[in-house]
Amino acid sequence: MAIRVNPKLIDELRKYGAEDVSMCYHCGNCSAVCPHSQEPYVFPRRSLRALQMGLESRMRTSIEPWLCYYCGQCSDQCPRDAEPGETMMSLRRWLISQYDVTGLGRYFYRSWKAELAAVLLVFVCTVAGLVLYGSSVGSIHVYDGPGAFLPSEAIHLFDFLLAGALVVFLGLNAGRMWWLTMIKDRKERAPLSLYVRRIHLLPLHFFSQMRYAKCGDTGPWLVHFCVVFGYVTMLVLIMGFLEAMQAGPEIRWSVHAFGYAASAALLVATLMMVRARLVKSGPQGHHTHTTDWMFLLLLVVLVVTGIVQHAVHRLGYETAANVAYVVHLSIVVTWFSRYPFTKWSHIIYRPLAMYFAEVRREVSGTHARQSAAPVAGPQLQGHAA
Amino acid sequence: MAEPRIGVYICNCGTNIAKVVNCDKICDSVSKLPGVAVARTYKYMCSNPGQDMIVQDVKQLDLDRVVVVACSPRMHERTFRKALRSAGLNEYLLEMANIREQCSWVHDDEFAATNKAEALTRAAVRRVAYHEPLERLSADMCPNTLVLGGGIAGLTAALEMADAGHKVFLVERDDHLGGNLARVDLTAPYLDSARDLLTERITRARESKNVQVMLGSALKNLSGFVGNFVATIGPAGSEGRTEQETSVDVGAVVVCTGYKEFDASRITYFGYGKLPNVITSFEFERMLRAGRIETKEGKTPQYVAIVHCVGSRSQEFHGYCSRVCCMTALKYAHEIKSALPDSYVSDLYIDMHAFGKGHEDFYKQSSEAKTLFLMYGKNEHPVIKRAAPEDGCEMLIEVVEKLSGEAIEIPADMVILMVGMEARADADRVARLVNISQDKEGWFIESHPKLDPVATTTEGIFIAGTCAFPKDIPDTVAQARAAAARILGKIAREKIEIDAVFAEVNEDLCSGCRMCNELCPYSAVEFDSEKRRSRVNSALCKACGGCVAACPSSAIKARHFTDQQIAAQIEGVLL
Amino acid sequence: MSFEPKIVGFLCNWCSYAGADLAGTSRIHYPPNLRVIRVMCSARIDPTFVLMALAGGADGVLICGCHPGDCHYSEGNYKAMRRYPLLKQMLAQYGVEEARVRLEWVSASEGQRFADVVTDMTEKIHALGPSRIRAHLQLDKVER
Repeated sequence: MAIRVNPKLIDELRKYGAEDVSMCYHCGNCSAVCPHSQEPYVFPRRSLRALQMGLESRMRTSIEPWLCYYCGQCSDQCPRDAEPGETMMSLRRWLISQYDVTGLGRYFYRSWKAELAAVLLVFVCTVAGLVLYGSSVGSIHVYDGPGAFLPSEAIHLFDFLLAGALVVFLGLNAGRMWWLTMIKDRKERAPLSLYVRRIHLLPLHFFSQMRYAKCGDTGPWLVHFCVVFGYVTMLVLIMGFLEAMQAGPEIRWSVHAFGYAASAALLVATLMMVRARLVKSGPQGHHTHTTDWMFLLLLVVLVVTGIVQHAVHRLGYETAANVAYVVHLSIVVTWFSRYPFTKWSHIIYRPLAMYFAEVRREVSGTHARQSAAPVAGPQLQGHAA
Repeated sequence: MAEPRIGVYICNCGTNIAKVVNCDKICDSVSKLPGVAVARTYKYMCSNPGQDMIVQDVKQLDLDRVVVVACSPRMHERTFRKALRSAGLNEYLLEMANIREQCSWVHDDEFAATNKAEALTRAAVRRVAYHEPLERLSADMCPNTLVLGGGIAGLTAALEMADAGHKVFLVERDDHLGGNLARVDLTAPYLDSARDLLTERITRARESKNVQVMLGSALKNLSGFVGNFVATIGPAGSEGRTEQETSVDVGAVVVCTGYKEFDASRITYFGYGKLPNVITSFEFERMLRAGRIETKEGKTPQYVAIVHCVGSRSQEFHGYCSRVCCMTALKYAHEIKSALPDSYVSDLYIDMHAFGKGHEDFYKQSSEAKTLFLMYGKNEHPVIKRAAPEDGCEMLIEVVEKLSGEAIEIPADMVILMVGMEARADADRVARLVNISQDKEGWFIESHPKLDPVATTTEGIFIAGTCAFPKDIPDTVAQARAAAARILGKIAREKIEIDAVFAEVNEDLCSGCRMCNELCPYSAVEFDSEKRRSRVNSALCKACGGCVAACPSSAIKARHFTDQQIAAQIEGVLL
Repeated sequence: MSFEPKIVGFLCNWCSYAGADLAGTSRIHYPPNLRVIRVMCSARIDPTFVLMALAGGADGVLICGCHPGDCHYSEGNYKAMRRYPLLKQMLAQYGVEEARVRLEWVSASEGQRFADVVTDMTEKIHALGPSRIRAHLQLDKVER
């Protein structure tokens, strides 16, 4: 069955950052030099080919973009400056918008104005909502205890509701990813037992991001690890220890220690990432999509408002603390509400991709072995010569 | 006849000959033959010391004949003839025996090979005794030139000769000059206008007082030899000879008759002739010159596909590459994108031949303009079909694409077939008229593909441009200028040396039967009606020997290939 | 002692002699029984030469020229082609076997073909045995 070439798709992908892919003339230098490329996942050339030809169904069901960590060696080697590294990045952006069950993701990727409008809308609405709520239950001058503007039990509940909604959407998107990469167009399906046997890969890759370290230069992995460490720690603290943190200046030291370490790691690493993009250092630094900026800037603002809020609270300025809290919380809502539709969702797609890639490899490996095995014929018994 | 004094020199050629043939044994037995004054062996006879050995022996031993037993005379006859000349001996007093290409290199039995070599040596020794000193004659070199074909090659050659101050007859079959290039809009890779390239040349050719442009004309007959040709030119298309013919004297001929394009209707799976929007490259050029790219229905195409190698690089049609189509296809991609920026261009190729100056950059530009390049295999050609209404395009091209490994369908509203070059249908007529050969594809054969690409085996006849094989404009112009340069060289020397080997009639033996008159393909045998004897015009005679063998009176002697010499050879090999 | 045929070959300079040279440059081996005499064109070959060769003790005669249409002198090979049937008829009347005298077209690029022709002809004449004229002249005096 012949697959239709769609020359128009490349116009679409240009908005996701794939500007130079037409220059590729398939010498294969990129796939040869890529430290991660190996059978059965050889990339980036083939992914670029599918993109050039607009083979949408091949692109949508491919897992190779997630196996790439943008070390940039392919782009360095490319004799035609086709930017294979950035093209793989644009494919990841496109896949995120494809996995999104709501379909909103593609608007944010294709138009920075739409993204900005959404961000501002959510921010303003949340501020308004919080202010209204706070005013109805307490006073803005009271931070903690009875009459508090934003009591921690309420915020705690709010956080869980938000988390719940997020898990639902992320779960749906993960399900869609699974269907696209593991079921659709696949010749063989993996048995459940295989999924179970390899389940350890999910938390392993989620917490370590170890594949990133195999790019050659461990620097970028380290910076990213700090972001993840800081982020996950803050998440755990906020979801599990909010009352302890929001209590008066007599907060337990243990909570502080983790919190400070996490915030510091987050802030430093994020600022390093911003700097890299500003001075255009490193492979990723050269190409920054508007969604990349939005991601980093929101994160920076999130961390800074969190630190400001904590500092002001500790210094005892309750009104200012509440104001900062409103701002911080609104940023939090803006940030988390964008999860399923944007770059942030790579937090689940990457570990899932590691997991699925391994399962898929084993399934097709077994299948290949089975089909190649020689058929044992009947033994000839004592045939007279 | 006094007994000759023959020097026999047997070459070892390093180990090429000596490994199989026992040269010393031959030397030994040959030295005992009557007439042999000296016999030597040496490792490399063609080397300077080897040649000096001959020169010294000629002078000191008073030799009057030389036999060199070595490689093929096609290799070194000229070398040893020169050696004889420098020794003061006439160069035709040399005979060579081939014991390398036709002995040591093709046999492994030493005994048999040595026997054969000895036989060949004996034959050479016997023959050379009958060699006579021969002198070359010379004739004037007519400074006029005949150029066949008024395309870019012909115009270039003609102008080159005219600018040097010599007269040129530019014969063109069509009613206008310019040839195939006049059908083209822009040229790759620098996108110059073909019209500009040609107009300048055409104007100069018409205005030059040295160039006589003869349109609607063709060569009807060519007689004579280099420096002294007579060309008869008449109206093109008329069979046989008519009164409207003119005869001109020329010294040389440059054949620039060009090519014709492959007929795409011979390939059924491209649908040319059935699907209205499948067109050839030349048909597209017409669209470009008219300034409008549209389908037969008058619509602007959204998807345009270009297919390379139509009729070329194929087992079925022509195995060769037509050289210009890859860059021309990129030129079309560029022109389509310029004229229709919203269109999508797909380029289906087997290999991208970007061999020349500016070609790789041109290819890169095409990628920058977002042309989609699709590679297909030599034996897995694309198939073009009509599309269904819901497909959103006129046609679909099915092909197995090699860079992705997928079987794909490409949408196309217009398909341009890059048809290859073929030899013209009348090429064999031209070849016969000027006495040159064609290869199995019909292209004219050059004297040597690497070392002599514009000359032919017929002296004074040159070939330039695509009539010799597909090539692009830079190479065509280079060849046209090269041919002109060769002719100018001959004109500068003013005289043509005629080979000393030709046929001679012994009038005493000639009975006047005239059987030889009709046999000569060069009309070199004339009949003297007063003396009632036939006579050979030595300048026209090419020494094929056809008349010699036919003469019932054995009255014609083939100089340097006489009956006596050959009989001596036959005797020698059979001893 | 075993019989080794002696075959005389008349090769035209432009095609067949060049083809034989090409067999040499390509190191294509063939039996050593052929002795070549070069002429400019197969048109030069007087049928008398063939008779001379046979009378001189040749077991076979090979005449080689350019393929029809490719003659360097445009029609020389046609002349050879026309003389040949008459010659063969005459030879048949003299009792010379068919396989002993052969006319072949070999082009300058056909080194392998030249070797094949010589090999084939040598084998056939080997099977026929020495020519009656040669046997009569008792020319086999070569000793190993």
